[in-house]
Amino acid sequence: MYAYTDFDRQFVRARAAQFRDQLQRNLSGELADDDFKPLRLQNGWYVQRHAPMLRVAVPYGEINARQLHQLAVIAREFDQGWGHFTTRQNLQYNWIPLPKAADVMDKLAAVDMHGIQTSGNCIRNITSDALAGIAADETVDPRPYAEVMRQWSTLHPEFAFLPRKFKIAITGAAEDRAAIGWHDVGLRVLKNDAGEVGFSVLVGGGMGRTPIIGTQIRAFLPWDQILCYLEAIVRVYNRYGRRDNAYKARIKILVKAEGQKYFDAVEEEFQRILKEDVGGAVQLIPQAEFDRINASFQRPAGVVPVGTAAAPAAAEGAPLAYQRWLQRNVHAHQVAGYAAVTLSLKRAGQAPGDVTADQMDAAANLSTRHSHGELRVTHDQNLLLPWVKQADLPALFEAAQAASFATPNIGLITDMINCPGGDFCALANARSIPVAAAITERFADLDEVYDIGDIDLHISGCINSCGHHHSGHIGVLGVDKDGSEWYQVSLAGSDGSTLSGEATPGKVIGPSFAAEEVPDVIEAVVDTYRAHRTAGERFIDTVRRIGLPPFKAAADAQRHLTAVR
Amino acid sequence: MKFIDTHHDTWHTALGEDGPQPHPTAAANLLLTLEQWHAVRDTWPAGLAVGVSLANTVDIETLEADLPRLGLIALHFPKFVDGRAYSQAHLLRARYRYTGQLRATGDVLVDMLPLLQRTGFDAVLLRHDQKRESAERALGFFAGHYQGDVQQPLPAFARDVGAELAAKRQLDADAAAGQGI
Repeated sequence: MYAYTDFDRQFVRARAAQFRDQLQRNLSGELADDDFKPLRLQNGWYVQRHAPMLRVAVPYGEINARQLHQLAVIAREFDQGWGHFTTRQNLQYNWIPLPKAADVMDKLAAVDMHGIQTSGNCIRNITSDALAGIAADETVDPRPYAEVMRQWSTLHPEFAFLPRKFKIAITGAAEDRAAIGWHDVGLRVLKNDAGEVGFSVLVGGGMGRTPIIGTQIRAFLPWDQILCYLEAIVRVYNRYGRRDNAYKARIKILVKAEGQKYFDAVEEEFQRILKEDVGGAVQLIPQAEFDRINASFQRPAGVVPVGTAAAPAAAEGAPLAYQRWLQRNVHAHQVAGYAAVTLSLKRAGQAPGDVTADQMDAAANLSTRHSHGELRVTHDQNLLLPWVKQADLPALFEAAQAASFATPNIGLITDMINCPGGDFCALANARSIPVAAAITERFADLDEVYDIGDIDLHISGCINSCGHHHSGHIGVLGVDKDGSEWYQVSLAGSDGSTLSGEATPGKVIGPSFAAEEVPDVIEAVVDTYRAHRTAGERFIDTVRRIGLPPFKAAADAQRHLTAVR
Repeated sequence: MKFIDTHHDTWHTALGEDGPQPHPTAAANLLLTLEQWHAVRDTWPAGLAVGVSLANTVDIETLEADLPRLGLIALHFPKFVDGRAYSQAHLLRARYRYTGQLRATGDVLVDMLPLLQRTGFDAVLLRHDQKRESAERALGFFAGHYQGDVQQPLPAFARDVGAELAAKRQLDADAAAGQGI
């Protein structure tokens, strides 16, 4: 992973000192709460139901054991002993009192971490494929490019107060595990016929109230031009994006309204940056700078191919639990004899993505023992060990089991994406954790979960869509009606993966349901799939083949508290 | 960074009883609205200092031909979270090579200072409740930044950031020593 330089380290310390100054002015009354808000947001500090929430950046999901141990220390000393991993590969605390905020930022800076641009109307933490640099299906490792863009976007003086938040996702693999179509800018790094590296650039995707999939603005942008091109994209947005209505302020609305005009404006701006601006063309990335950054992303010393590129297989007579874990939680790797292993954070009794301080330490220890001290935070709120020797898998399985990380459910119905919802989040219209808990309880039988097979269940507590309900095969959205919690259910959404098909928002299957009805509705929808599927057909394919009406009818039959209008 | 004190400002607006005079009489150091400037531009004496205040919705491109004649451009922040004027400032300096004073007006807060300075502003009219001392402190936290800007057009990868760090450390050490006296 990226190794901080003296400059990087000094930079996050300076940011922590700057934040301490702002916090002190706020606490002393010099800096009013309303003026402080956008400043603290850009350091990851929200004000939530119980206490401020801190969102810590995990750049493109890469974290090491030392950092995770430090997050555990912060959880114990400043929080109530918890953390929550998010769909944007970050970590959130929910119980830290604001007067302690600056101390926490110092603790983070001590391990090269921060909360810079994890919130606010700025370029957010860049997300990527959790298997970046290790995926068997990868064309180009996206991480060095993600790091170059992280540096470029960090405290960019012109783009700190955009019309709305701005999210960039990048992948370099055949399979899209970063949902790039759903981002303000989605990048696929690839090679052209001449073997040169460049980007396919999508712009104008996003969730929220108006779900839109990004449109390709460039099929192949040479890699060294990416910073100038991003500057053009963001500058046109900063100048002409709507600011009169927060729900219409994302770049997707500008791109949709202007279409080709927006694309033309970006291309013209890009050319002018390169040809006319002082400080324009100097942003073309020199090969030497790429090499410097790329050096951080070499395989850890000692990771060398072992044997053949065969997938790990369980020995004859191995326990079913181990076989299942191999099947669901262990993934193919670029390096023969190695595997990537997901530590499932989806288990009964804990909210999806939640970890205790002890579990953070346990995961960090597993990474030290089995993965060169490196971990990834996945887009679906799990942890992943990127450098596991296949020979170590039995030992890792046992250790992961002991630490509660071995639920063999990756990609299955209980591996759901779930935002913190109304229990914590001040924006939420409804709670999402109890819904997730009820569904987890309903699908406690692993045999049944395996029979249902691959399925993306995504739950958001409000239209801000942190739980990515739009992209779920089954999406659940919390809505508020007359002060009580209701849930809209949608079907056939896709994040853009091969399994799920072209990225698309799901379709709502009728009026919202009462909280108590939701597990019944999910079960009825799943049962409808099982009744209609052909041999080996996955949930999403059955839904697409037979259409929504049978599912809607089954869901409506579960309405005990809500009448069908 | 120049901190503007409205009582001692060398620039003056051309206000009549009912707001901006539609056709102000030429005089040195007038800060005009864009409409006023358009009204007098063709007759304004060559070499007579003049400034223009711009809304943050104005396309800087439309002003290109006038820039050599302007000694001051005031860019407006209606709310501090509305960042359009940063792009205007950047374009004025980096693309159109504007060299006159570039002044931030409106909802200008202490914590905007680093952004203002880096996008090319060299003068600020702070909101009335803001402390100049805090604003000056806000400019001093970072040794350097990753991306280039108007002040420092080179990105970090094209600079000697090691030397910047050393200089900042020396500066901090000197300041700490100074406080001890």
